[in-house]
Amino acid sequence: MDDLFDSSLNLEDTHYKEGYDEGYSHGLVTGKEEARQVGLKVGFEVGEELGFYRGCVEIWTSAIRLDPTCFSPRAKTFICQMEELIQKYPLMDPENAQVQEIMDSLRLKFKMACSSLHVKLEYNGYPKSSTEVNDIQF
Amino acid sequence: MEGRFAEELYAESLQLSKLELTSTSADDQENKANVCDGDDLSLWDESDDKLESSSDLDREWQRRHDQFHTIGYRDGLIAGKEAAAQEGFNFGFKQSVLDGHSWGVVRGVTSAFSHLPHQLKERLIETQKKRNELLGLYESVHSLSTTDCLRLFSEEIKAQEALEQSEHSEVSHHTAGLQEQPSHGSELRNYREQLESLIRDSPAIDIHLPKPK
Repeated sequence: MDDLFDSSLNLEDTHYKEGYDEGYSHGLVTGKEEARQVGLKVGFEVGEELGFYRGCVEIWTSAIRLDPTCFSPRAKTFICQMEELIQKYPLMDPENAQVQEIMDSLRLKFKMACSSLHVKLEYNGYPKSSTEVNDIQF
Repeated sequence: MEGRFAEELYAESLQLSKLELTSTSADDQENKANVCDGDDLSLWDESDDKLESSSDLDREWQRRHDQFHTIGYRDGLIAGKEAAAQEGFNFGFKQSVLDGHSWGVVRGVTSAFSHLPHQLKERLIETQKKRNELLGLYESVHSLSTTDCLRLFSEEIKAQEALEQSEHSEVSHHTAGLQEQPSHGSELRNYREQLESLIRDSPAIDIHLPKPK
């Protein structure tokens, strides 16, 4: 009786493992491609936002270079802080634990810089509508 | 007297004959019944036995196989996807982040410039014509949402990958070279090149636009 049950359980294990191995190898392929699609979207969005802040800072620093008195000291401080955060951002390291913190700081400094400069600038690329973005397939 | 005896004799003979027939008929029926029963039994036994040993057991094995194989497959699929997720994400992320960044700089430069006080605009870009060009570029760039850009970038990636595949399958390098030359002038790339051109002509703007790749 024990032998009979053992035999039956072994057979079930064999079936399960067979299925598991097959599913795992399929999962590696489909999972990698699905994750790559997500990575492409997120990478573009993150890169664009960071590039936007960098572009703003470079225009502002060019202006300061021409006329050091064109912006208030407070505004200049925020612009400098933005520059530091941009340089600090590990663009090619998506797994870095600091990325979210740095981006949040950047967003805050950007708003404060714009306020000091009295300009109504806004980054329009914020992923406001996730359903739209999900439609895009690479 | 004679007539009566004859009648008696015939009647008796006739009766005996009938009895014989009945007996034979009964025997035949019994025999047939036996044969029939035997055949049915043996057929029934055999067929039942075969069904039990082959069909039923096969069905049972197949049912168990399908059941456990399916459960295993599902668990394996989930595990495989989880194992590949980070690698896949990182791969895709690195494929796009520099292009996104390059495009973002175009957005940032054009936006920040368009919102500068007029006198600063004049000092950064001295000619009215070039200032107008930059402001026009800002309008074009500003009208594209990130979703629009992702779609354009997606088309770019697909075209690039299709080209790479055709290159691999190409035997003639000459043909491949020809195909490469008319590289897909993407909208995003064009805007960046326009901005580069404007900045090159304006030494006051000291900006190094990052190349996508």
